[in-house]
Amino acid sequence: MPTGGISPLVAILWLLNVVLDTGGQLAFKAAAGDKDAGDGLARWKHMAARPWLWIGIGCYVVEFLVWIAFLSLVPLSEGVLLGSINIVAIMVAGRFLFGEKLTRLRVAGIMLVTLGVTIVGVAG
Amino acid sequence: MKRGWFYLIGFTLLMGFDTLAQISFKYAGTHALPVTADVAWLLRVFGAPWIYGAIVGYVGAFFTWMSLLKHAPIGPAFAASHLEVVSVMLLSVWLFDEHLTLPRVLGAIAIVAGIVCLGLAESREHVPDADESPARA
Repeated sequence: MPTGGISPLVAILWLLNVVLDTGGQLAFKAAAGDKDAGDGLARWKHMAARPWLWIGIGCYVVEFLVWIAFLSLVPLSEGVLLGSINIVAIMVAGRFLFGEKLTRLRVAGIMLVTLGVTIVGVAG
Repeated sequence: MKRGWFYLIGFTLLMGFDTLAQISFKYAGTHALPVTADVAWLLRVFGAPWIYGAIVGYVGAFFTWMSLLKHAPIGPAFAASHLEVVSVMLLSVWLFDEHLTLPRVLGAIAIVAGIVCLGLAESREHVPDADESPARA
């Protein structure tokens, strides 16, 4: 595989992975954060009877295949670093959908992760 | 204190499952090349044993993750779970003869520094949280 540049197929798979991972995580948060869910087995039954858990699982199943295809086209060490952009996507989405705070330290963390992913993506 | 141990054990377990999954994904994908959007590719992926290692890693990580998420806010928990980039990078040098090129090392340092910032942001916010939790119970 050539390094130092990303092919269109790799870029598409990378973007799909970010979208599916963020969608899946937010769905799991919606399922797990339900305060009426109770504990133990009852909690799992409660979650299984509502759509959020299944939406999350659906996103993950498709992401599973997308990620295998992605990793087969880039070196693994590069692939996992590029995948770290999911951290940024999830935090920004958590801020807008669950009102989680973006403090200065979190903004710094987001910028550092983005910088790292950019370095790897551009210069691989 | 009890919560600290819960996080430590949970995140270590999560990192182990995630690392297993990533290594298995790489083996499964490499075995199934070339990438094509068809059934033949799926058959190549599922016809080799590697995919099942990835499934074990994924399912293990899923149940660990769902148990952690019940108590942790999504962003920082997600960040802490992503320290597996380090273990996967080191293992890929050994298993796949990959090279730790300068951009990859610099990128990894920036990413880990970013993850540490996010972890620090979490621990700061969790100090007042400890006083609130008995009231909720």
